[in-house]
Formats: sequence, structure tokens, C-alpha cells
Amino acid sequence: MAESPKSRGADMVRLELFYRLMVRPLLHEPVRLALMVLAVALGVAVVLAIDLAGSAAAGSFHSSMETLSGDNDLEIVASGGVPESILATLATQPFPLRLSPRMEDFAVDLRTQETLPLIGLDLIAEGRRYATRRSTLQDTSLEKLTGEESARMLEDPQSIWVSAGLGKKPGEHLSFLINDQVRDCIVRGVFPDTSANGHAVLMDIAGAQRALNRFGRVDRILLKLPPDGNLDEWQERLRGVLPAGIEVRPQGTGTEENRKMLEAFRWNLRLLSYIALVVGAFLIYNTISVSVVRRRNEIGIVRALGASRTDVVAAFLGEAAGLGLAGGLLGLPLGRVMADGAVKLMGATVESLYVSSRPGAIELTPHSVALALAIGIGVATFSAFSPACEAMQVSPTDAMAQGRREYLAQMHKGRDLAIALVLAVLGALAAKAPAIAGKPLFGYLAVLLLIVAAAYAIPAFVYIVSRIAAKSLEELFGVEALLASRSLAASLRRTSVLVGALATAVAMVVSVGIMVGSFRQTVVNWMNNQLPADLYVRPAGSPAADRHPTLSPELLEKIRTLPGVAQVDRLRAYEISYDGMPVTLAAVDLTARRARRQSDFFSGRPASEVLEQLRGKNNVIVSEPFTYKHHVKTGDTITLSLGAARAYFRIVDVHYDYGSERGYILMDREVLLKFLPDAAPTNLAIFVAPGANAEEVHREILAAAAGHRILIFSDREIRAEAVRIFDRTFAITYALEAVAVIVAVMGIAGALLALVIDRRRELGLLRFLGAASRQIQKMILVEAGLLGLLANLAGFILGYFLSLILIFVINKQSFGWTIRFHWPVEVLLGALTVVYTATVVAGLYPASIAVRLNPLEVIHEE
Amino acid sequence: MAILSLQSVCKEYSTDGQSVRALENVSLDVAEGEFVALVGRSGCGKSTLLHLAGAMDFPTFGTVSIEGLATSGLSDAQQTALRREKVGFIFQSFQLLHTLTVQENVELPLLLAGKPGALEIALERLHWVELDGLGERYPHQLSGGQMQRVAIARALVHAPRILLADEPTGNLDTTTGTVILDLLLRLTRERKTATIMATHSHEAAAVADTLVVLRDGRIAEVTRR
Repeated sequence: MAESPKSRGADMVRLELFYRLMVRPLLHEPVRLALMVLAVALGVAVVLAIDLAGSAAAGSFHSSMETLSGDNDLEIVASGGVPESILATLATQPFPLRLSPRMEDFAVDLRTQETLPLIGLDLIAEGRRYATRRSTLQDTSLEKLTGEESARMLEDPQSIWVSAGLGKKPGEHLSFLINDQVRDCIVRGVFPDTSANGHAVLMDIAGAQRALNRFGRVDRILLKLPPDGNLDEWQERLRGVLPAGIEVRPQGTGTEENRKMLEAFRWNLRLLSYIALVVGAFLIYNTISVSVVRRRNEIGIVRALGASRTDVVAAFLGEAAGLGLAGGLLGLPLGRVMADGAVKLMGATVESLYVSSRPGAIELTPHSVALALAIGIGVATFSAFSPACEAMQVSPTDAMAQGRREYLAQMHKGRDLAIALVLAVLGALAAKAPAIAGKPLFGYLAVLLLIVAAAYAIPAFVYIVSRIAAKSLEELFGVEALLASRSLAASLRRTSVLVGALATAVAMVVSVGIMVGSFRQTVVNWMNNQLPADLYVRPAGSPAADRHPTLSPELLEKIRTLPGVAQVDRLRAYEISYDGMPVTLAAVDLTARRARRQSDFFSGRPASEVLEQLRGKNNVIVSEPFTYKHHVKTGDTITLSLGAARAYFRIVDVHYDYGSERGYILMDREVLLKFLPDAAPTNLAIFVAPGANAEEVHREILAAAAGHRILIFSDREIRAEAVRIFDRTFAITYALEAVAVIVAVMGIAGALLALVIDRRRELGLLRFLGAASRQIQKMILVEAGLLGLLANLAGFILGYFLSLILIFVINKQSFGWTIRFHWPVEVLLGALTVVYTATVVAGLYPASIAVRLNPLEVIHEE
Repeated sequence: MAILSLQSVCKEYSTDGQSVRALENVSLDVAEGEFVALVGRSGCGKSTLLHLAGAMDFPTFGTVSIEGLATSGLSDAQQTALRREKVGFIFQSFQLLHTLTVQENVELPLLLAGKPGALEIALERLHWVELDGLGERYPHQLSGGQMQRVAIARALVHAPRILLADEPTGNLDTTTGTVILDLLLRLTRERKTATIMATHSHEAAAVADTLVVLRDGRIAEVTRR
């Protein structure tokens, strides 16, 4: 139905009124308005940045190994690789299937140090296919591979094809580190990138096997079904002809597994990003509350002049929505900029802890824009709802009853405290509940309940603490402190909201600080106990949780015979899939000395006793995160697909481990070799002979490793490196904390400004009564300091309890790590000092405004 | 000798680039123990004269002296010090701090000046205004007359030489207003302050020793009784 001109006219009048009564007063306080909009914008920006960066960092691995995987339907995989005999088995079956065997690993470009996926394909077959279907791969060099000249090119182990994004030209020479060997390669052709982050290096499959030193196995066989093929039926049919250890699954399952594995990481980060938004919500609530209190008289007058209750509530919700919209719009570009920084931090963490990844492009999609605006407007209107409803209750006669609102706030202290206690108890109960589908949903609920409980308890807390502190503060800072503390206690509601906002931010700093500090100390203690060898060797290149480059067996023999080396302990790791999730399978020598100072096992038994149980038997040790992810315990039996075989292994103990979140399975090297007869180790632990100098042995190993690219670390260096990676991993949480604190401090500055404006008559009176300018300034600064003190105190208490939930519930249920509680005293003292100082500094501008007020003007204002 | 002296005082304000003259060529001496009532219409310059007398503002021309010390040219700190020592203010709407108790309100000027013994002096001033025993109450627990008594006690707490009252009975009923006027007059006599009261009320003006009528920023009439 068309809108009538009359109703359009009425809408215009309403808009005009909204501008006069709501917008214009806001514009008269531009600094405060700017602070509030910026606070919302920062909250929105953080959520947006984490969302964008999460998609970019976590989504990128999809293309790394799926490069040139085409339009296949199924894939055949096996732990340690699929024996080539499987290809023959499939080829002899009367199946109308297209088979694409692949080698998949990584190569480091020595010039750029970039780690690139290395894909080995049967280029003769693939070349023919691409020649007939140019839409997939448009490179002409591959089309020509069917010719004799090209066939020779293929046989050359130096021949590579690179994706266009790498910017190379045919004929260029490149040096790659593959495992511990440097290989010089010649670019034979360039193929288009399959996506923005799909850079890869392509080799013929035989060349790749040679380069990787892995013969007789391929990493994956991709299968294209006939057009009318049913996925489930074909999986069943293929399983019937393949050995038990070989897995048939839809193509891209590995990518899905990785995505699933990253879910907890992304979830927790996303929730951390919401804290800044919660702080922002407190501040919007405060802004609208202040707005309502300030305009009680106005509301009364407007109501007397004919405004309905709905008009009043709509006006205040409109004000909040306006702030939210402005914050959302400003948050968009801010979030995009922040996402650049976040993606670097997240990308590094994803690579260290989860999966090889190169961050993808950050895409500000219409969905992201809508999300930012919805968050800004949604949070703002939600936060404003309660004060807007209070405004609605103001009757024309009530408008003159000044101070009633504050009186109510004071009267409800006891009731609010009781509610807080109930919520805290509910929070404690929620913390005891188990995870749901691997997510600590009740843990999050417990955090939320505690934050809300704190919000309810804060009025009583502020009242009691400011009363107790008033006398001492007066003695310390004089009459200005008395005035400041009384003023805060008198406007209890406003003070409580401000303290609540800053306390939430402080609690986040404290809780995450304690959690990270405890985790760090736990890891340091664990490493001290874990690294008994003197030197550790691995192939050069940047490490990642799912990359296990190997050392040449001949290098091992050379090192073993060096005079200063007493013993070499080998470790071989594989990336395998267990129960639909990626896991690290590791095997070690059981001969080396492993003199650990204390037990790292759930059973509390010494390592020698536990490791002895592995010798020659189908027994394994699993890491703590593995038990959480797969719901297993000591004594359980797990089934592993190794090569073509499927074997059963008994868990003899569980190991506290902080090396990888994905979890690992450890077995005797000799047992693993029975299933996967590849002797190349991925890491060596070297014990220096008694009397030999470790540095000298280090040099000897380097000399022996001529022609190989390896990295040698002392136990001290490896610890330092682990701590560096640890700190980098948590850098993003520090960044999120910083933003939340900035939002809160900006809120404090805005609120103090409002306080100064509201109390201008009182400040003017003080000048009449003999107060000097600096006394007014001091009073405002003491007020800011008192707010900071109250917030720090409340935030510290709340943060302590939140840290317990983070450590013992959320972390445990998300990642499965046992973290031992530790007070990171220096970090906490430093953080609280910074927050406190920032709060006092936030009072400087309002204080200068207070000093500039003209007492003659303000004293006569009504 | 006059405690307060205004000699050929002019005061101009600039509003939106326009110069407005609030006082013009005003001369007035107030002796100790003298109660002066300033009367006139709204905007005639009563409040401006009080602000100049209380060293809250400077004259554009002429001289304002408090016990012989000219206020012109004083720094902000010197002005503040002068107010702390010599001037007490009373306002129409009492201007008590609602976050402080009665006794704390009265102590405030002494505390701001950093003077010792504030509590004892405050209790004594409350006794002067007949509010013994109400020191622990908050302003909202008092009647309008009681609040104005507290304001008077506060204005006198530092034993000022000049007491400036801007419509002290304007928010009070007639009976209470009369009581407050009597109190002001009594304290002026006893404490030998020079009291200037701006008022619209003829009843209030009637108690003064000197009646000064202001009209358009000039003294139109001075009646000494």
C-alpha cells in the first residue's frame, strides 16, 4: 500500500524532532561523541578483524594440497603413503575409473624462504588430459608433453612447473630445499593459480619420488567416478578390493579434517574478540543511561507536551542505533586494517600448531560488511534497551524528582548482590559440566555468568570500597579525594557501569594473563624435563605441525660415527588420519638415555618403565590432547591404518604433551618399520660423549652434513625457540586484550567528560568556595584514579576466577592440555599498572575541561 | 573604614561580538557590620556587582578594593586566596553538595584552603545558625530554611570580612525568609562583616542598613537608614 503524503509528513516531523532533541545535544559534545563512536568502532573492528583473519588464515590450507586436484570424486590414502601396488590392483579391476596418483610434500624456495606445496603428478597422463580439456589447465607447455622432446624434459629430475603467482618464467633456475637436500630446478612451464593462495611447485611423479627419496609409495590417489557413479556405492566397492589399511574417502576429506581441527582455535579466538564488544556494550549502556538521567526534566516536559512512551523509547533506541551505525561504519575500515595484522599472527599460529598454511586473501565481502553493521547497531540497541525502557517510565511529574534514580540504585544493592551470588553459583555449576560436541559451551556460559554476576555485585563493591577507602584517601590526597570518592559513591549507578566496563577489560587481561603465564610456565617446566639430549638435528626450513621432512639415512650414519657422539636417538613422524582427525604418528628408538627428572605420564611411572612396554609390541603412548579428542584412555585399544595394513595397538600410558594441539601417538621405531619400512628419520637427538665438548660436536656435525641442509639446536636453543613460538602464538590474545582495554579507557574518558559537564555547577560552586584550579583538576584526576582502582580491584578478582575457568575448563575441553596454575606476577603487575595509568591519563582532558569552566556562568544555570 | 570599596566601576561583557555594559560608574563603600541591600529588576547588574565584590570577576574600568587591596590584576591564585580569606557567598538555591553531610559542607571552604581544625569550627558555625545536632545529616534530609542556614554557616566558616548573598530568601516562604534575614542581620552585627544582599523582595530590603537601587547598571538611589 502506498504511503500517504500525510504519514510521510508526520515521519519528517518525527525526524526533525529526533534531530533537535537527540542528535543536536550529542553534537554539542563532539569529543565525548567521538570517543563513544570510536569505542563502538573498535569493538566492531576487532570482531570483524578476527572473522576476516580467521577465514583467511584457516581457509588457506584448503588450496595448498588441493592444487591441481581437479574434479575428482574420491581419494585413496594410507598412513605413510599408498603402496604403488594399489595402483596396479585398481588398474586390473574392470572399473571405469580415472586414477590420478600424487606425491604431496613441501619445498622451501631458498631465495624467498617461502614454503611451497610440492606436487608430483603423472604428467604424461595429466598432460594428455589437459591437452583435451584446456579449461582446467591452460598452460601450453604441458600440452606439448606428449611429444618426444617433452618426454625427455619430464625424465629430467630438475624439471619443475610452477604456478603463475610465483612470477617465474620458463627457463629460470630455482633452488629448493626438499627434506635436507638442496635441489636446483629449471622452470619448464607455468600454470595458472587455482586460487589466490594456491602457489605450488609441480613435478613429474617419478621426479618427485626421487626428490623426496620416497620410492614405492604415493601419497594419494585421486579417483574420478563415471558420470552416474554413486559415491557411497563406489567407496564400498573399492574397499572390497583394497587391503584393510587403505582408506577410501571423498576427495578433500583431509581439508575438512583440518578445518574441523581448527574449529576450537577459531572459536576461542572469536570469543576473545567479543570481549571488546562486551566492554563496548557496557559503555553504550552507560552513555544512554547518562543521557536518560541528564534529560529527565526534558523527558518530563516532552511527555507533558504530548510525546507517548513509545516515542521516548524510540528516541533513545534511535540514539543508540545511530551510535552503533556510526561505530559500525568506522569499524569497517578499522577492522580491515586490523585484519592484516591479525592474519599474520594467526597464520603463524596455524602453521606452528595445526597445519601448513599460507594466509589467503582478506576479503571484505558484503557478508562481512553486514556483520559489522549488524554487530554495531545490534549491540548498541541491545545495550540501550534497559535505559530506554527506564526513560519510557518517566512521567511528567517524576521528571522533577531529582536523584530518585540514584536512590533506587543504592536501594537495590542488596538485591543485586543476592542475584550476583546466585549467578556465581550457577557459573560454578556450569564450569563443572562436560563439553558438548567437543566445544566447552558450558565453560563459555560459566564465563558469561561470572561477568554478569560481577556486573550485579559491582554496585555493592563500589559502595563498600569507596566508603572504606574514603577516609584513607582523604588523608592521602586531601579534600579533593573526599569530594571525588563521595561523588562516585553518590552516582553509584553510573560509577558501577563504568567500573563494570573497565573491570571486564581488566578481568580479561588478568584471566588471559594468568592462563597464558600458567601455560608458559607449564611448557617451560615440561621442556626442562623433555630435552635430555645435548643436541637436536632436523632438516632446515620452517617447522609446521603437519610437515615432517626427513634426514638422509647416510647422514645419520655419518653423525653416529663422529668421535664426540655417544648416542643418536631417532624420531620419525608421519601425518596420519585417525578417527577423522589429523594426528601425528611418531616412532622413537628405545635405546637412548631418557633420564627424565620426573614422570610426564598420567600413571606417574618413570619414563624408562613406560617406554619399556613399547619395545617390540603393538603398544603405544598417546598424548593428552589425543585422549581428549578421541575419548580414549590407558588400556584402550586403537586401530591404526599403516601402509596397507590395519593393526591394533594398546595404549599403555598417556603423556602430558604441549608440543602439538593435534595430539600424537608414539610407538617403538622397530614396530613402525614393520609397517612402514622407511628408515629416514625426521629428527635426531644427539647425546655427546662424556668429556666431549658439545660445541665441538656441533661443528663436527655441520662438517659431516656438507651437502645437506640441516639445523642443529642445543637443548637451550630449542627451549628458547619453543618459548618464542609460544609467545608468538599468544601475541594475538595480547592484541585483543589491548583493544578491550583501550575501548574501556576511552569509555572512562568519555564518561568523566560527561561527569564534568553534568557537575559543572558543583565545580563552579567549589570555585566560589575557594577551590583553586589545580584542586578542581586534582579532584577529577583522583576520581579517574579511583575508578581505575575500583576497576582494577574488581577486574582482578573476576579475572582470577575467569582464569580458573579458562585453564581448567575451556582450555581442557577445547585442547585437552593440563595446565598447572601459576601466578605471572610481573606480567600482572605490569598490565595493571598500565591500565591504571591509562585510566588516570584518560582523566586529563576532562580535568582540563573542568578547569576551563566559567564559574560565573555555570553557577546560575538551571 | 570601608571593608569593601567600589570606585567608578564599569563592567562590560562581550556577547557574540557585541559589547554589553552590565555596570556603569558604580561607586559604593560598605563598612564592617553594615548590611546593604541591592534591589532592582532582573538584569540590572545586581549579580555582576556581587561577583566583582567577591573577586570572582574583574571590573573593566574602575577599582574594587577589599580591605584596601585592589582586585584588578590579581592572578587566579591570588584571587582564590583572597576569596578563601575574605569572602563568603550565599546563593538563592543554597548550592549545597548533596554528596556531603551538613557538617562536611560547612567544613569545605576550610578544607579547600587547607586550614586545620575545620570540624570544630564547622560545629561552632552550625551552632551560630542554630543547627546543632544536624551535622551528620545530608542536605536532602533538611528543609529549605535549614539548607539556607547551612549555606550561611558555610559562608561564615572562614570568618570572612565580606558576606555576599544572592537572593538568599528567593526559594523560601515568607516566614522562613524572615527568619533567615534576621539571622543574616544578627551575624552581620556580631561578626562585623560587610554584608551585601541582592534581592527582589522589598520585605528583605527593609531590614538592611543601606538600600541601593540599581537601574540599568547604574546606582539610581542610595538610602541609608
